[in-house]
Amino acid sequence: METTRALMPRAREDELVVEELPDETLVYDLKRHKARCLNRTAALVWRHCDGQTTVPELAALLGEQLATPTDEAVVWMALDRLGRAHLLSEPVTLPADRARYSRREVLRTLRRVAGISLLLPVIESIVAPRAAAQASCISATACTAGSPPCISLPICGQPGQCCVQLGSKCRVRTC
Amino acid sequence: MEKIDRLGWAAGIAFVSYGLRIGIRASSPQILDRLQELLPPNAKPTRGPRVECMYSLIVRGTKVGSNVRRFNILYGDAVPLVRTKDTDRVLEALEMDLQLYVAERARRRVFVHAGVVGWRGSAIVIPGRTMSGKTTLVRALVRAGATYYSDEYAVLDERGRVHPYPKPMSIRENGGGRPRKILPEAFGGTTGVRPLPVGLVVATSYREGARWRPRRLSPGRAVMELLAHTVSARRDPERAFATLRSATGEATVIKGARGEAEEIAEVLLGRLTEQAGQGS
Repeated sequence: METTRALMPRAREDELVVEELPDETLVYDLKRHKARCLNRTAALVWRHCDGQTTVPELAALLGEQLATPTDEAVVWMALDRLGRAHLLSEPVTLPADRARYSRREVLRTLRRVAGISLLLPVIESIVAPRAAAQASCISATACTAGSPPCISLPICGQPGQCCVQLGSKCRVRTC
Repeated sequence: MEKIDRLGWAAGIAFVSYGLRIGIRASSPQILDRLQELLPPNAKPTRGPRVECMYSLIVRGTKVGSNVRRFNILYGDAVPLVRTKDTDRVLEALEMDLQLYVAERARRRVFVHAGVVGWRGSAIVIPGRTMSGKTTLVRALVRAGATYYSDEYAVLDERGRVHPYPKPMSIRENGGGRPRKILPEAFGGTTGVRPLPVGLVVATSYREGARWRPRRLSPGRAVMELLAHTVSARRDPERAFATLRSATGEATVIKGARGEAEEIAEVLLGRLTEQAGQGS
């Protein structure tokens, strides 16, 4: 059985569009239509998840590239976030005491390191919008005045409400 | 051949818009006059026999086949889109669907749902959903002396420059209802004609009483902010990423809630002036 220390995570490669920026990496997941922005730490860990590098080695690499000592906790935190973002080829099993890898715990552990918050791996995500979601709105009156098929557009002045087909009529309902 | 193709059509037009060939046919020639104002900016007539998308409009009261139609019915290719007795409503639906079709599929352009103005050789791009206050802010900026580019889409090329999309502004009174369309010239503004680099991206929405304290976004977050409003994000994410990266490369991207548009307009123009001065 592979121990957590011997774990060699591998980055997912299939169905991803990747755009590298100087200090961040953008990833578009074609399967889930989600876009992610990895900060420098998360991007570095992800980039070195080659299936041949252990967690201690990742920590050492990270420390080298960020020019500051880096605890394995930061790497585990990154792997946790990368796994939840579906950016690893297989889910990672965190060490038993996984509470250690919450942001608060990592900060507490590393509070002596100046600028630690900049080291924390961050992955921001958005769901890519559907084209129709970018359309202008229609008035509620115009929606209900029509007959099916109803164009599914947002209702002006009513956030979260759209024109939808209900039976043989067009009605205003939650999008 | 679809059933709809056999109905017999009285009139039609074909045009090219952003590299797409589109046709509109109607059961009544009288409706053609109203179609011209619905077309995307810079649409050019074409005589070619083939189109990539055909809109078919059955006008209420016209005889189609053996029947006189009681409803206006709009089809996009052979797919029914809307059926209504209200002629204005069906034309509104045609305009919206056409605009969205072009925005999603345009060749060599990426459309971001945004307001845009020009100022001192750079563009201010204001991404945002419908009813987020884009048009209000665009109008305030134009009144303050900026050049109008669009209140609907930022049209970006591969170099990240933004092109004019000069449809009349849609002004909705009292938060809803059918919008009024007005040109910036109606209140002393001018419309841009040449592409501009993006100088400032302002991700904002109106909140009563809000103090303007925006935060600056990192380059990655800047791209994400625009991607959230990019029409072709799902269809062509690779091109979207590359284009948005080019667009934000030299731009300052800020995000925050705003109060009254007139106050913010002066602040934004001042900020862009300052940026331009530092860059020169």
